[in-house]
Amino acid sequence: MTKFFILLSAFGISVSLWSEKLEAASVDKSVIRVNTTMQSYNLIQPWEKGASSTRIGLGAVLPGGKVLVTAQMVTDATYIELEKPDTAAKTTAQVITVDYEANLALLKPINDNDFLSDRLPFELDTNLSPKDKVEAWQFEASGTPVTTQITVSKAEVRQSFIDTARFLQIQANGPVQYRSGSFTLPIAKNNKLAGLLISYSSKDQISNILPASIIEHFLKDTADGKYTGFPNLGIMYSQTLDEQFRNYLKLDQENGGVFVSKVIEGASAAAASIKSGDVILSINGKGIDSRGNYNDPVWGKLSFSHLVRGKAFTGDSMKIKILREGQKKEIDLELIRRPAEDYLIDPYMFDRGPKFSIIGGLVFQELSVPFLKLFGNDWQSRAPIKMLMAHASPEMYEKKGRRKLVILTRTIPTPVTLGYERLSTLIVTKINSVPINDIQDVDKAASMPANGQHRIEFDSYPKLIFLDAVLAAQVNAALEQRIGITKRLK
Amino acid sequence: MKSSIFSFIITILAWDLAAAEDKNEKENTNQTNNSSRYEAVVRIENSSLNPDYRSPWNTGRDSGGNGTGWLVGENKFLTNAHVVSNSRIIYIKKVGDAKPYRAKIVHIAHDCDLAMLELEDPSAFEGVPPFDIGKLPQLDTTVKVIGYPIGGERISITSGVVSRIDFLSYSHTSVDLHLTIQIDAAINPGNSGGPVIQNGKVVGVAFQGYSGNIAQNTGYMIPTPVIRRFLKDVEDDNYDHYVDLSMSDFPLINPAQRKALGLANDGIGIMVAAAEEDGSAGGILKTGDVLLAIDGRPVKSNGLINYEGEDVNMNEIVERKFAGDVIKLKIWRQNKSIDTKVTLKRFLPYLIAAKKYDEKPRYIMFSGLVFQPLDRNLMAAHVMKNLQVRYHFDSYVSADIYKDRPEVIVLTSILPDSINSYFSNFKHSIVDEVNGVKVKTLKDVHNALAKDKDDYIIISLLGNGRPIVIQRAKVEAAQKRIQEKYNVIKDHYLGD
Repeated sequence: MTKFFILLSAFGISVSLWSEKLEAASVDKSVIRVNTTMQSYNLIQPWEKGASSTRIGLGAVLPGGKVLVTAQMVTDATYIELEKPDTAAKTTAQVITVDYEANLALLKPINDNDFLSDRLPFELDTNLSPKDKVEAWQFEASGTPVTTQITVSKAEVRQSFIDTARFLQIQANGPVQYRSGSFTLPIAKNNKLAGLLISYSSKDQISNILPASIIEHFLKDTADGKYTGFPNLGIMYSQTLDEQFRNYLKLDQENGGVFVSKVIEGASAAAASIKSGDVILSINGKGIDSRGNYNDPVWGKLSFSHLVRGKAFTGDSMKIKILREGQKKEIDLELIRRPAEDYLIDPYMFDRGPKFSIIGGLVFQELSVPFLKLFGNDWQSRAPIKMLMAHASPEMYEKKGRRKLVILTRTIPTPVTLGYERLSTLIVTKINSVPINDIQDVDKAASMPANGQHRIEFDSYPKLIFLDAVLAAQVNAALEQRIGITKRLK
Repeated sequence: MKSSIFSFIITILAWDLAAAEDKNEKENTNQTNNSSRYEAVVRIENSSLNPDYRSPWNTGRDSGGNGTGWLVGENKFLTNAHVVSNSRIIYIKKVGDAKPYRAKIVHIAHDCDLAMLELEDPSAFEGVPPFDIGKLPQLDTTVKVIGYPIGGERISITSGVVSRIDFLSYSHTSVDLHLTIQIDAAINPGNSGGPVIQNGKVVGVAFQGYSGNIAQNTGYMIPTPVIRRFLKDVEDDNYDHYVDLSMSDFPLINPAQRKALGLANDGIGIMVAAAEEDGSAGGILKTGDVLLAIDGRPVKSNGLINYEGEDVNMNEIVERKFAGDVIKLKIWRQNKSIDTKVTLKRFLPYLIAAKKYDEKPRYIMFSGLVFQPLDRNLMAAHVMKNLQVRYHFDSYVSADIYKDRPEVIVLTSILPDSINSYFSNFKHSIVDEVNGVKVKTLKDVHNALAKDKDDYIIISLLGNGRPIVIQRAKVEAAQKRIQEKYNVIKDHYLGD
C-alpha cells in the first residue's frame, strides 16, 4: 500500500501538468513515431562496429515530455528520432532510462523540450483483466490513425527480450494488421495506456502485451532519477508434484511449495540465507502451489516469480515461509538486485563496446552470452563446452575469485604470433604470472613482461605460450594505426 | 575427416546386400588359372551380433559382412579387426572352393585394427605357402591390392602407387594413431584385411579409405611395422596393446617461445603442453619442458624425427615398443638439459573416447531407471545433449575426471512406470551420489542401491540440486512389474 502513495507523489508534478489539459489520450495526439538507427559492435573484431540498421516503431507519450518504447527499440541506438505522425515534424531524442530485462525504455527530446507540448500524454491503466477489450493504436503511412480491437485472454510470466528475464505478459486475441513502422504498438483501454504490444503471431492471431503494471513499476523506479531495476530472488527451483518427493520432504497435502535446487550468490535469497534444499511455501502470505504458481485474484495461476519481480521493489522486505528439514520457518528477506554486469558471464551487452585488450595480435575478451551466441542458434551445443560449463555453473570460477572469464577469442596473424595463429577460444589463467580475473588484469599484466617476454597461460592446450614484448609493443602500435584502438577496458 | 572414414567402414560391413543386387550385372570372361597364386588370400564372412546400448539387456542386433584375409603362417590368417568385430560365427572361403570353413579369432587388436584367425580344420590349406612380409615401400612404387571387394563375388586385384606415408588416425577405434600408407589403388568395401603386395611380399593390409564423394583414389593400408609389431606382441599368445607417452606437445615455432625457454634457434625441440599424470610420462614431464631427443634421435620443432631415412612422427619410436620397455628422453628444463627414462605403459582413460567392440554393455535397471557407464558407444547410441554428460565425455582425460570418477554413470533412459512418473526431466543426468555415497563406478551404484536400511533412496545428480527420491517400500513390486512389462530379462550386468 505504501508504495502506491509514493507513486502518486512521485508523479505529482507530471500528473498535474497533464490534468490541466483535461483531455483524454488519442491516437493522433498520444502516439508518436520513433525511428532509431542501431549499430552493434562486432564481437569477433571488437574494435569495430557492424553495419547499421534502422527500426521504426511507435512510442507512447507520457507526462513530462517523455516517450515510452520497448528497450528492443533502442538497443545499440546511435541515432533516435521522434516524429509526429500528423505533421511529420521531427526531433532528435535520447534514452533516459532503459531496462533490457523488463524491455522498457524512456526517451526524451535532446534539445527541443517543447516538442511534445502539443501532445496529450497517456495515463496508465493497470487494471487489465481477462475479456477486456483493448485497442492497438497505430497509423497508416499517411498519418491516419488506425485502431484495432483485440480481446485480452490470459496472463503468463514469460521471457520478453533477454533469455533469462521473465515478466508478466498479457495475451490478447484478434487480428492485428501491422501498418508501416510498427515495431512496438501502444495498447489502450478507454484511452489509457494498458500496455505495449511486443510481439504478434499472425498465425494464431495472438498478441503479447507488456502490461501497464510492469510499466508502472519501471516508471516508479525512474521517478527518483536513479534507476535500480527489478529485484531478483536468485534461485532455481523445481516442482514438488511427485508424491514420493513430497513425503520425503515431509510436505503435507495442504501446502504446495517449490523445492529450491540452487541459490545464486549475490542475490536476495542467498543474502537471506535461503539454502538449496529448502521448500518455499509462501511469499507475503500468498501460498505457492507445487507447480510454482500462486493464485492471482485477476489472472488466476501465475508463476510466483511475479510476486518478486512484478510486484516488489529492491529494498522491499518479504516474508517467506519455508520448510527446512521438515520444519516450517519464516524468513524476512530483503529484496536486492544482483546487477547483470556483476555476473561472471554478462548475460547481455548493449550500448557499449565489448571489453577487450590486444597483446601483439592475441585478442583477449571477457566471455559473454552474446559471444557464446556467435556459435549459432544451437550455441548451447556448439559453443566450446568449457565455456558452456562456466555459463551453467559460474560459481566454479567465482569461488576462485574470478570476476569475469577472460578468454583468448582469436589470434590475428602478426610476426609476434607466429606459430599461434590457430589458437582461439581458450580460457586465460595467468599473464606474466598475474592471475587474470577480468580484462583490467590483462591490461595490468601486459605492462609487466619478464626478460622481454610475455608469458601467457591457458587452462587447456597448449597451456603456455610466450610473446616477444618489444615486438608485441610494435605490433600493437601498428595495429592501433590500422584498427584505431587495441583495448577497451570499460 | 574421421567421419568420412567411418562411413567407409560402414559400407564394408553392409556390402553383402549391395553385392547381392548387382551380382548379375557383370560377367567375367577372362578366367585364368592364375588364381592358384591367390590361394593364400581368403574371403572372410562374419556374422556379428552388435550390442544394443539402448536396451542393454537384449542380446543385440544380428548383422554381418565380409572382408579379406591372408595366410601369414601355418593356419594363421591375418585380417582387420573391424572385419571380425562383435563376431558370432566366422567362415573362411578359399579361391576355387565353394565350401565355407569355420574359423575363430585367436587374437584381436582393436587399437591397430588387426586380427589373427585360425581354422578349426586347417587341412584345406595344407601346402598353401603363406605370404612373406616385406618392408616399408618407397613413395611412388607400385603395389597390388588383392581381395574380395564389392562389385562381384570373385577375387579382385587392383594396383596403384604408394602416395604418402603418414601418421594417421585408425577409424576402427577413432582414437588410435599409427603409421599409415596412402595408395591410389582402388580399395573398396570388402577389401578390408586384404594384402597389399609388392615384389611378391605383403607390404600392407588394406583397411580404410574415403568415400568417393570426399576424395578420389585415396585408400589406406596398415604398413608392415604395425603388422610386425602385432605379430611380435602375440608371440606370447597374448595381445598386450600399444603403449603411449600420454602427453600432448606444442610445436616450438615462435622465436619468443624458443628464447623464453632458453633454446637456440636451431629447429630442435618440442614443448610439452601436458603429460597425463597416470600415463607413462606422468611425473617425469611437466608443462613447459622441451623434448630434445627421444631414444637418441633429435626431435624437430614440429615433432618429427628422422627414422630409417624418413621424417616420421616422434611417436614412431614408442609405436615399436612394448609395455615395460624403457625409452630415453633428453629434455630441456630451466635452461638445463636432463637425460631421463620413461617406462612405457598403457593409459586406459583415453579409451572413453574409443569405439569399443566385443564387449557386452554393462547396466543397472532400477525402478525403471537405466544406469550405464559413459563411453563413446553410449554416446553413439543415445543422443545426449546434457551439458554435464558432454563435458564429462569431452574432458574425462584433460580435466582429470578419471581420477575422481573412474566411471561416469549416466541415467540414460527411463522405462515409464508409476514409481518414476515425475522423473523424465532427469534423463541423461550424471549420478553424483546414491544415499550419500559418491558414485565412482557402476558397482558403487549397485552396492548403494542394494543397501536396505533407509526408507528413501536418494539419487543426486550432477548440476541439479533436486535429487531423485524413491520410496524403498515401493521398489520391489515396481522392479518386478517393470521387468515383466518391458521384458528386461536381467536387471543388471556389471561385467565379468
